[in-house]
This record gives sequence, structure tokens and C-alpha cells, in this order.
Amino acid sequence: MEPILSVQNLNKYYGDQVGCKNMNMTLYPGEVVGVVGESGSGKTTFINSISGNLNPDSGKILINKDNEIINFLEISESLKRLLIRTELAFVHQNPRDGLRLDVSAGGNISERLMSIGQRNYGNIRQTIFKWLDKVEIDKSRVDDFPRTFSGGMLQRLQIAKNLVTSPKIIFMDEPTGGLDVSVQAKILDLLRKLVRELNLSVVIVSHDLAVIRLLADKIIVMKNGEAVESGLCDQVLDDPQHSYTQLLVSSVLQV
Amino acid sequence: MIELNNITKKFTLHNQGRTNISVFKNLNLKINPGEIVALTGPSGVGKSSILKMIYGNYVFQSGEIKINNYKIDHKYPRNIIELRKNTIGYVSQFLRVIPRVPTIEIVMEPLLEINLDQEEVRERAEKILLDLNIDKNLWNLSPLTFSGGEQQRVNVARGLIRNYPCLLLDEPTASLDNVNKDIVLNLINEKKDKGSSIIGIFHDESSRKYLNAREIDITKISHGN
Repeated sequence: MEPILSVQNLNKYYGDQVGCKNMNMTLYPGEVVGVVGESGSGKTTFINSISGNLNPDSGKILINKDNEIINFLEISESLKRLLIRTELAFVHQNPRDGLRLDVSAGGNISERLMSIGQRNYGNIRQTIFKWLDKVEIDKSRVDDFPRTFSGGMLQRLQIAKNLVTSPKIIFMDEPTGGLDVSVQAKILDLLRKLVRELNLSVVIVSHDLAVIRLLADKIIVMKNGEAVESGLCDQVLDDPQHSYTQLLVSSVLQV
Repeated sequence: MIELNNITKKFTLHNQGRTNISVFKNLNLKINPGEIVALTGPSGVGKSSILKMIYGNYVFQSGEIKINNYKIDHKYPRNIIELRKNTIGYVSQFLRVIPRVPTIEIVMEPLLEINLDQEEVRERAEKILLDLNIDKNLWNLSPLTFSGGEQQRVNVARGLIRNYPCLLLDEPTASLDNVNKDIVLNLINEKKDKGSSIIGIFHDESSRKYLNAREIDITKISHGN
């Protein structure tokens, strides 16, 4: 099996300040990679740099699209935009950043569909209902504005909005960050089911090791913009080798 | 077949004065298909560590571990993920699941991962839950609120629903009453008869005898200090 996404020696600086440095990652189809570290460690810079939200200064991002390797940082801007709308998806921590609040729930979901040229109203409406059902939002809410939704519903709507065009690679920045724990559990369950059913490949940033443990196959531990340790998720959390990872794991409160 | 050759394992605790804890030196172990090996020895001697090294949770400093001739190499996590999906089953002492997910779905998951048909998987999950005396009324509830013994049986159901060529069992009967203990032991024996290589920790001697397990006292084969 070939990786669907491969990041090599990626660097991003803000002036003299390191955003992330010498980052490497391999993501296979159906795999979830967790990126952890304290605030300011470069997690968000990293995920933004590999998803098209930020332009890295150097390095390579290779995307495997139907067995054709695409050099993401060297393709034209228009092709990049198309890839971002079709193959990639980005789920923000705050769903309000990923949704249009003055457009109905159905309108939010149909946006990506229409951006890739779907025009048949009946088909689009059907796809919207299918996705509302998948993320457990009642069909009767289709014409309501997102501002009338709860936090958990907003996050589920954002997930539906992103997955409607069947992207293969999903980037998530703290997707359960602002949610209370009962809602968080539901989102985690939904994400796991979608990953399995749709064979999604996911890069997920979180400072919550318990979330990463439940979702991720592999893990990257970041500190000061660099990866200090990476590998099999269970192994890095159960038998951390780097002193910073040991500190991180031993600092988690037990409930 | 599970093979451990010349394994050295130590822990270095960087934040606690760089303490080095040596657990194993030159550990050798082999579990054949259709065989059950029971690890014995006082707690803290490294019984669970052996299971965790085989499952890939723990790294080791030297030596090699082979699962059906496939080497565990932490440089290639993808291969360990594949091994877990297809070859090694693990019943741990503790249930670690997403809150609010129904028991039946947790038990179905290992089979859904290999893309079997939903309905067929559901039937198999129902059968093993019935075999393990988990009340039907509980199937649609999260196991996190269950009693210790019930949680353990859910864990066993999830670990034994598939026929893995290699099985790792960490105290699978520790909090069970005698009736349910016998049921679990019989399920383990079935896996052995199907040719699994099984290695486990069983706290009571009667279980080890019942399984006709080859007992290995870890204190005698490891040279940690």
C-alpha cells in the first residue's frame, strides 16, 4: 500500500520565529495521525502548512490521487484550489470558522457540491439529507440557520459540510476542543465510524491525549516547532522515549 | 507462532533523575500454534511488559520479536497496525472505549474493521455476548457503567470474536465469578484448538491447569536488576 500523503522536511518560519521545522509525516489510506504538544508547539502551524491554509517556506508535500503523485507545493493555484475542494477537507476547532452562519444548514452542505459543478437540485437535496442523517441532525432542520444550532450540532454540520464531496484526506484542528464532554464523546464516535466506513485518512491536532489515544493510529509529539518523538500511538503513549513526551504523558490527570 | 529472541528491555525515566530500570536481559520465549503459555511470577516482574512488547506498545532495546515470522519494527508503525488488524488479538485488563458507544457496537468493531457484512457481524457479536452471559438488555448501553465483571466480559467478547492467529490475554478472568470464568476459559480453549498461539497471564493456578498451559516463571528467565 502506498501513502496517500507524505510530508518531507517541511519548514515554516514567521520571520525569524520558528513555526514548524524539519517536519516529516507519512499517512496511509484509512489511517489517523494525531499531532500533540502544548500550546505554541507548532501543531496548528504544521496542520495549516500541509493543508493549503499556509504557505510553508520549504519542504515537500506529496499527495497520491488515484496513483498519481501530486507535488502539492508546486502545482498551480487553481489546481490547488480544486484539490482543496475535492480531495482535502479541513475541520476547524470553532465550527463558526468553517460554516457560513447566514446560510441555511442545507446551503452550507451543498456549497462544496456546487463548487465542483453539481447543479441538479433534486440530487443535491438528496445528498444533503443523506449527510444530515449521517451526522445525526434531524432533517427538519435543513432550512434553519446554523446560528440556531447547539455547539455539538454545529460541529457535526461542519463535518457534513466537509465530507460531502468525499474527500480522502481530512485535517482537523481540535475538533472537540470547545465542546462539553458528553457532546465530545458523540463526535468521537461519529469520527471513528466515518473513518472506517469511508476509509478516510485523517490528521488530527489535539492537546487532549485521551482523544488522540481513542482515535489515532500514529502520533507526532511536537515541542518548540519540532517533532521530538513520533510513531505508533499506543507505543509513544505507553512507553515514551523522549523526556518531553514522558513529561506530557505523566502530567495527564487520572479520572 | 510468537518468538522472542534475546530481548533486552529497560525503561529510562528522564524526568526522574534519569533512572534506568532494567526489566529483561536475553529473554527468549516461543509460543507455538495451538499452544497456551502462562506467564507466572510476582507482580512487577514484567509479565504484562512481555505482552506489551509483543503487541507493540513497548519498545525493546535489542533482540527481535517475530509474529508468524514477521518482525516487530517500530520504525514502521504501519506494519504493526497491519499485524494488529490481521494477526494479533489482545484482551487487556481494562476496557478502553469511547463513552456512550453501545456494547454491541464495541464488540462488532474488530470484524467491521475487516469489512465484513454488518448483519453477519451483528449476529456473531450477539452470539458471543449470549455465550458470555451479558444480558440482552445491556447490549445497547455503553459498558462504562457496567460492573467490573461485565466490563471484563465485554473486553473478552471483543478480543475473542475473531480468530486471531496470535492471542495475548492479560488477566482475562481476574474479576469473574466461577461460572463465567469457566465460560471464558472454554472460549480460550476453542481458540487454541483452532490453532492460535496464545500467551497470557492468569492469576489463579486452577485456570492455568484448566487450560493445560505451559507455565513460565518470568523470574527464572529474565535477568533484570
